[in-house]
Amino acid sequence: MKNIRSRGLTDAQTGVLLIIPGLAVFAAIILFPFIDAIRMSFTDKSMLMPDYEYVGLKNYIEVFSDPYLGKTILTTAIFVILSTALPFLLGFIWAIILNQGFKGAELLRGITLVNWIIPGVAIGFLWSWIFNGQYGVLNGMLEALGLPGDTAWLGQTSTALICVVIARTWQMLPWYMAFLLGGLQGVELDQIEAARIDGAGNWKCFTSVVLPSMKNIISLIVVMGIVGNLQHFDLPWTMVQGGPARATTTLSIEVYASAFQNWDMGKGATIGTLWAVLLACFSFVYLRQVKDSD
Amino acid sequence: MFQKNTGFRIFFWISLILIGFFVFFPLLWMINTALKPTSETFSLAFFTGPKTMDNITHIVTDEKIMGYLKNSLIVSFASSLLATVVCSFAGYSFSKFRYRGRKFVMGMFMMSQAFPQAILLLSIYAIMQKTGLLGSYWSLLISYVVFTLPVGTWTLKSYFDQIPNALIESAKIDGAGHFKIMRKVVFPLAVPGMITIAIYGFVWSWNDLLYSMTLVTDNSKRTLASGLVMTFLGMGSTNWGYMMAASIISAIPVTIIFVCLQRYFIQGLTSGAVKG
Repeated sequence: MKNIRSRGLTDAQTGVLLIIPGLAVFAAIILFPFIDAIRMSFTDKSMLMPDYEYVGLKNYIEVFSDPYLGKTILTTAIFVILSTALPFLLGFIWAIILNQGFKGAELLRGITLVNWIIPGVAIGFLWSWIFNGQYGVLNGMLEALGLPGDTAWLGQTSTALICVVIARTWQMLPWYMAFLLGGLQGVELDQIEAARIDGAGNWKCFTSVVLPSMKNIISLIVVMGIVGNLQHFDLPWTMVQGGPARATTTLSIEVYASAFQNWDMGKGATIGTLWAVLLACFSFVYLRQVKDSD
Repeated sequence: MFQKNTGFRIFFWISLILIGFFVFFPLLWMINTALKPTSETFSLAFFTGPKTMDNITHIVTDEKIMGYLKNSLIVSFASSLLATVVCSFAGYSFSKFRYRGRKFVMGMFMMSQAFPQAILLLSIYAIMQKTGLLGSYWSLLISYVVFTLPVGTWTLKSYFDQIPNALIESAKIDGAGHFKIMRKVVFPLAVPGMITIAIYGFVWSWNDLLYSMTLVTDNSKRTLASGLVMTFLGMGSTNWGYMMAASIISAIPVTIIFVCLQRYFIQGLTSGAVKG
């Protein structure tokens, strides 16, 4: 007994002690808020009134009978799929280019990453300016090429979402590039040599050697990219605030707007809960896939 | 890796030019617009017309915006420090100690990235309101740890994993207690990992819009991202020169950090960092 006391805490006690700050923060800003939000979805809580009552499934019935729900989910799905696929593809090509090791490739990689580091608000402002209907540089360039240059890119429902996707692609391309460049550098060159001796061309080498050996990193970044895009808020908000006519209202915009613009916490929490369920299903499928592939 | 035949050359040059233009032109256009006098804002001149620092000066001398900048610096530094401390302790605990529930807690931390932030915000807002922290730096500072916790804990755990147990054992035999070992032996060896996480935390906090727009209602406490949104969105006429200048100012601190500490940055990025 004496020996232990003179040594202070046991190993296990120290381990637990060290985890307490992290656990406390986790509980305070993730676990408790999450459970509390689910509880909130069964109430009529509003920021404008201090009191609230439990209303059972009323919020859920309301949300499900909301004619916009389907559209919001569809918008989210389009946004997530395109904003994952586009920067992934372009980032992959860009990584292959920079992996050629020409002079200045290192520098280009560094400058590319700046796009990803700067605040989303700055990126949103920049692309609103580029897409500006009256004076934007995109319309200016189209006009210079003899094409019609008066499209209000962000002002019409048919183009607003794709504009946000393009801005998001510009922001995230460097992130995919950084991972894929790392992946490319890990590909065994003798395997490519072997394939080449068997008569494989560039495309065959790419599909039968490079892609399979980068399988893990590709699935990792695609899943992380999807999760990030499901959460994404900054660009649709700074560029068009979810508009025009809800054309860019994704789930995260919808939760924010219901709760903090219409002050209807109950509705926000309900949409948020449904969204979390969707995310959980997605994570579950993904985890099973990872387990199976091991 | 690839044979440089004609097909590859065509692919290489077309991609280099098109993607290069897409990647680099917008930022150049931002700088270009910011440097134009207001009368020239709408011209398509690309660094050829008259140049001025008026827009930049206007933003830098705007007391409100400089106040936002100061708030952002305070909040980002403090939350990055807090996150690094929390993640170092947790990472060390996961790496070198064995106790019941360890695996479970590790899994929970990893999953925290997947919780929708917008929904967490609903209750965080209510909690901060109840505890009187709403509108203070504290509300943001604590909330921002959420961004760093999973990545930070994981990255630092892998750093601690590389430290041989024998080193810790021998310090123990020399009579050092747990906290002396941490201070003198273990943590100094993980400094590069800590820098990586501190940068990561800083950039995330600096760039966040959603939390700062919601949790800070007092204009004097606002951080730059939400401050700029409040300043420039919803105005009748937009001064694009000012907006681009403000965007540049907001991008400078993180860009400087990136340029100076690129090595740590890319390490942190590829060790599992995700930016929403």
